[in-house]
Amino acid sequence: MTTVESNRDAGRARVLIVDDSSLVRLYYRETLEGAGFEVEQAINGIEAMEKVLAEPFDLIVVDVNMPRMDGLSFIRALRSSPSPVAAVPTLVITTEASSQDREDARAAGANFYLVKPVSDADLRRHVACLTGTSR
Amino acid sequence: MAPPEVQRTRAIHVTQEDVRRLCEFLYRRTGMSFDDNKRYYIDRRLAERITATASNSFQSYFATLRSDAEHEIEHLVNAFTVNETYFYREDHQLRCMVSNLLDDILRRKTTGESIRIWSIPCSTGEEPYSIAMWLMENWSEVDKYNIEIVGSDIDTRALKAAADGVYGTRALMRLPRHVIERYFGRIDGNQVRIDPGLRDSVQFTRVNLIDARDMALYRDFDIVFCRNVLIYFDDASRRIAAENLYDCLRPGGYICLGHSETMSRISTLFRVCRFPDAIVYQRPEADHDDS
Repeated sequence: MTTVESNRDAGRARVLIVDDSSLVRLYYRETLEGAGFEVEQAINGIEAMEKVLAEPFDLIVVDVNMPRMDGLSFIRALRSSPSPVAAVPTLVITTEASSQDREDARAAGANFYLVKPVSDADLRRHVACLTGTSR
Repeated sequence: MAPPEVQRTRAIHVTQEDVRRLCEFLYRRTGMSFDDNKRYYIDRRLAERITATASNSFQSYFATLRSDAEHEIEHLVNAFTVNETYFYREDHQLRCMVSNLLDDILRRKTTGESIRIWSIPCSTGEEPYSIAMWLMENWSEVDKYNIEIVGSDIDTRALKAAADGVYGTRALMRLPRHVIERYFGRIDGNQVRIDPGLRDSVQFTRVNLIDARDMALYRDFDIVFCRNVLIYFDDASRRIAAENLYDCLRPGGYICLGHSETMSRISTLFRVCRFPDAIVYQRPEADHDDS
């Protein structure tokens, strides 16, 4: 069936979505699960940190503006974690679109940066690329 | 032991005067008004409650109701509210929300401000969940904003069902197949369960539309869906409800009513907006003096 096909395509890469909006998490999760990725979620940087220390991920999709621990603080904490956690790639998706915001994300250790809104096709494409599962 | 009790309550005679007292009480407490042409409807639900409370006369039941023993007012209200609906009902309003209302609302937003949408009464949750699904399926900017969806109802039993998120397959009749596959899991041949993520995207609360204290907790909504509840109210309660709703909206916010309802006959506070997909009512951007 198509689901099994796409699962194989994505190689069941594990993606952690970090966003404080439940609707946004649902939208990204539906988009990625529909493409065969395995998805976990966190509502802020602190919860995300607990998850990445407990289980392996191939990619972290992270928002910037979140309560308690924002996305860039999370990426900095991630990068200073012990290996192999420190090396997990991150895709920042945010409404902040200025070149300074991009530079800040890069300096924090983000691998890639997208500005919201992100279409489902774009999200799938970038996640596939960053997890090495694109054909 | 129980059967003789039930037998007795079944035989209880309820007079026209009893019904009038009950309706008056219900009206004072909830604003819901029922007249004589709904007598059969009232009798049936009243009989249910008399049986459920094992009362041996209308007077005894009415005393229980007035003292609100065991939350009887709430049980009676639950019995009186009709809870049957389905997903994507009145989808022209959902289309209007995406095609017209959101663009206008976003003009007034500053970065990081939430979009707040209220479904009242939300009954068993079909409407607020429909709003969430519609936005995800049809609005390309859905991930750009923090969208808060609140579903409220006076009926606590309906709210519990809404939060449980279990539906009969009949409620899915208007949904495209891919939407069903995406957001529902099958329990058995007749029932489905809503996706936990979708469930978490809606907050459910109990609210009485004509209770200003209840309503004062709800402010700054951008869109309110308030369908087919004002028809239960008489003119006075309807106006109170409409004005309460006005206060719950942000300036420039919109209210969508049921297709048989018009705000113009209820309150002059709102501006009528005729969009291609729906007629909706707007709280004017700058408040005017309506005295």
